[in-house]
Amino acid sequence: MSFKYPVVMPKMSMTMEAGELIGFHVKVGDKVKRGDVLFEVMTDKIDMEVEAPEDGVIESLIEKPGAKVEVGNPVLVMVTETEVMVFDFGSAEVQSKTTPAETGLSPQQKKIDATTPIQLPPVPAVLQSESVKAVPKARATAAKNGVDLRTVTPTGPDHTITMKDLLQVSPDPKFIKRKEANRALVARGIELSRGIAQTTFTRKVIADFDQATFIASWASVLRGKSNLESNPYIGVALIVESRYGSALPVFRDPDLCHHDVLRTLVAATIERAKHGKVPVAMLTGATTTLFDLSLFSMGTATPLLFPNQATSVTIGRDHERTKVVSLTIDLNSYDFYDGVALLDSLVAALSQSSN
Amino acid sequence: MSNNRMLTMAEAIREAMSIALDERPEVFLLGEDVGIYGGAFGVSGDMYHRYGAERVLDTPISELGIVGAAVGAALSGMRPIVEIQFSDFTAQAMDQIANQAAKIHFMLGGALHVPMVLRTPQGSGTGAAAQHSQNLEIWFASVPGLKVVVPSNPADAKGLLLAAIDDPNPVIFLEHKLLYKSPGIDPVPEGSTRIPLGVSKIVREGGDVTIVATGIMVSRSYQACKTIATEGISVELIDPRTITPLDMKPIFESVEKTGRLIVVQEGPAHAGFINEVIAQVTGSPSFGSLIAPIRRLAGLNIPIPYAPQLEHAAVPQVEDIEAAVRKIVADWQ
Amino acid sequence: MRECESGDMSVKQLPVGHPLSSPELANHALLYMWRIRKFEEAVEELFGRGMMHGTMHLSIGQEASPTGVCMALSIKDQITSTHRGHGHCIAKGADLTRMIAELLGKKIGYCGGRGGSMHIADVETGNLGANGVVAGGIPIAAGAALASKMMRTGTVVVSFFGDGAMNEGAFHEAANLAAIWRLPMILFCENNRYGMSSSTAKAFAIDNLADRSKGYGIPGINVDGNDVVAVYEVAHAAVSRAKSGQGPTLIVADTYRWKGHSRSDKNLYRTKEEIEQWRAKDPIPRFITSSLKAGLLTQEQCDAIQREATAAVKSAVNESLRAEPADPLHLLEAVFKVNTP
Repeated sequence: MSFKYPVVMPKMSMTMEAGELIGFHVKVGDKVKRGDVLFEVMTDKIDMEVEAPEDGVIESLIEKPGAKVEVGNPVLVMVTETEVMVFDFGSAEVQSKTTPAETGLSPQQKKIDATTPIQLPPVPAVLQSESVKAVPKARATAAKNGVDLRTVTPTGPDHTITMKDLLQVSPDPKFIKRKEANRALVARGIELSRGIAQTTFTRKVIADFDQATFIASWASVLRGKSNLESNPYIGVALIVESRYGSALPVFRDPDLCHHDVLRTLVAATIERAKHGKVPVAMLTGATTTLFDLSLFSMGTATPLLFPNQATSVTIGRDHERTKVVSLTIDLNSYDFYDGVALLDSLVAALSQSSN
Repeated sequence: MSNNRMLTMAEAIREAMSIALDERPEVFLLGEDVGIYGGAFGVSGDMYHRYGAERVLDTPISELGIVGAAVGAALSGMRPIVEIQFSDFTAQAMDQIANQAAKIHFMLGGALHVPMVLRTPQGSGTGAAAQHSQNLEIWFASVPGLKVVVPSNPADAKGLLLAAIDDPNPVIFLEHKLLYKSPGIDPVPEGSTRIPLGVSKIVREGGDVTIVATGIMVSRSYQACKTIATEGISVELIDPRTITPLDMKPIFESVEKTGRLIVVQEGPAHAGFINEVIAQVTGSPSFGSLIAPIRRLAGLNIPIPYAPQLEHAAVPQVEDIEAAVRKIVADWQ
Repeated sequence: MRECESGDMSVKQLPVGHPLSSPELANHALLYMWRIRKFEEAVEELFGRGMMHGTMHLSIGQEASPTGVCMALSIKDQITSTHRGHGHCIAKGADLTRMIAELLGKKIGYCGGRGGSMHIADVETGNLGANGVVAGGIPIAAGAALASKMMRTGTVVVSFFGDGAMNEGAFHEAANLAAIWRLPMILFCENNRYGMSSSTAKAFAIDNLADRSKGYGIPGINVDGNDVVAVYEVAHAAVSRAKSGQGPTLIVADTYRWKGHSRSDKNLYRTKEEIEQWRAKDPIPRFITSSLKAGLLTQEQCDAIQREATAAVKSAVNESLRAEPADPLHLLEAVFKVNTP
């Protein structure tokens, strides 16, 4: 078997970063033996002859005499039959990115590509209370009770709000009510979920991907496998934590829109959701739900099935680049083999998307 | 088994060393004037007469040489206690302390270790002026591989020193000159009991303010606390005792209880140990419990001056600590 | 006590005795000088290919000193070494694979990849460690000798250092302590004429470095550092002195460093003639001549010994290249030793 072996600019001192190629002693096509001088290099401190590590044939000359070459960068490539120790030969050619939307779609599916950016209501500028000074405990307590720090009179040094100042202001009853309602809703959802026959699968994937990719990949997997007569579209709900509790904005057919557009939409929506301002149009129509636990540095959790949804996915952090993906399926809609196939497809799509 | 045995810091340290020399034949003491003279501050006392020249070695004035010899002896199976007469002179021996002792276990992949204790007096208040009065715990705390102990009273000194001698790593044991003759508040237990390194002590419980103090600032803070208590303010006083390893848990819990934190050290504020405590609290969940900014009391950023009124003004005193507590409570309700 | 695994853990006592007193000892002396030479050449090549991190200090041309000294020591006797310590390490019996593995940052390296070239220690062969600080190991050696005296083990400690170290305070303090306490210690100076770029002619006001011994009240011996037999003889005498309670000896061995101080040296401070003059005093051919003349080895045997050394180094390099790199997973726990209950 033949091996391509790039002969590199050698490191000749602790601080050396680059050297100059003085000249070649060989040309393309030359047969060389181990120890033959291939080329000469120099730095301000040392001159050196670089020898062939093994017998072989010169395949190509990469640099030109007089060139400045960084340490470790190839100067020429030779072909040898002997495996020349363990080297990392550097990057293969960069593969072009293919978005799921560009993979083969049927004409009918293409027609549904109607995801134009939704007009979203303007978000209030950075909440004014961030420019108010308050002791840490007061700030935390105010956030918990929904008190706007701008309504509190500071009496501490440097106009800083103290705990005593905060206690003069009573918490906003409407805020407390909304938070309670959210919590009750989630609890009810969990209870309903318990009644559905379901099962969960888990896989690990080594990949980097953002939430937009996560959303789009899952949608495209579902599109490939679901029964589209029952559902004219795919609606992916993303769980976002806001000051009031959980928000679940829904992205319709995210795999059919251009990836950059989706990315912008996802970022903007998450930002608004954090402030409790998800547009009404995005609050309904979920056919599946995603929860990204890795934001909380969490590992895994069993995904919950939401009412009228047949699938639910969580992604958690294992360590470094390894993520754990879990899929729960409603056994009335899918069987075990479907579930396995869906998860494998998702893992494949995520791995591919991060290369 | 409690008794009323009050010992001075010097006596307690001598007792710990004697117990160690009795228990383990590989322990020995070396240093300048530790033998016949009995130690520059009288700490080794009569040990030379009790243990002989083989185990209590008088050395020439060669800090680098004797600390290096301690390292070499420790590598070969002995457990030396090396006394450096003033903490300021550890500077002469820094290569052997920081580049050798601290790093050998790590650099050599665990093949060798250095079980030695370096004892040295630090601190100001004796009119010894700039080159004989420094607080240098931060020098050693900033070098990974050294354990750093700062005892504040005789009972702790005895227990901590015994634990330090047991420890298979290099331990820097920083005593305070002004405390050598002081009996402290608590009696010193008899026998061979150790106080583990890396355990902070809650000296006094309270609910309004947390004080974290080291060395001689512990007793000064304690005095301040007693006065302040009569004014209706209750202060919780914590003594970390060891700087490396540092036990932050009681400190976090205390901050969550009181919401107000004052840290006190004798050495200069700039880049000192208290800043480590402050950084850890600020970066921890207990940050959200603070109802006041964290205050620090420390020495001025100057070499220690000679004249007594100047020396007094250079480091925190009891009245400074009292004033700080009153102010933090008044300003931050 | 070892955290890393290694291949062959059986460490046996190396031959001790005069290099020309038997074929076995002549064989050992030549083999070990070749092992050091081939090892240093291999390290040079690895570094040149950018496969080695940091820097390294070669001792090519200085093989006779460590080899001669270690032939006068038993396995229990200890040494401390310098930043240019590969030769001392190998002569005392270190495992070549674990040494190269350390230089390549592998898990099975002597220090698990945490120390590198300048900090290799091998406890089983009595090597208390190379030292990255000039003269750093001399007080440590004195301490080990102190321990030997206190524990009555009867062992001696050799501190290897260069001419540059003799101007460090640590040398002075350690030599004095060794003298006043009559420590079983040998202060072995490999005088290669240069501390980095400063020549001994410029760094010393005296001509003979061994004269400094007078200031401590101990004997000072000169020896040709490139004559392994002469080195053995003075080392043996010093070891006997130490073991009989007569205290330390200062030995100054004249030798020379072929390559620069380290890889980034430009040899600006030496002339080509100077370098060639010393090449002619290569310790290896000198000893071959002596062995042949004494009828202890044949030419074929000498060639075979060279091949044996080359093969050992090559095998060590290949094994190390294949070995697993050190991983950062347990760095925090590696700082302090924990008492086992």
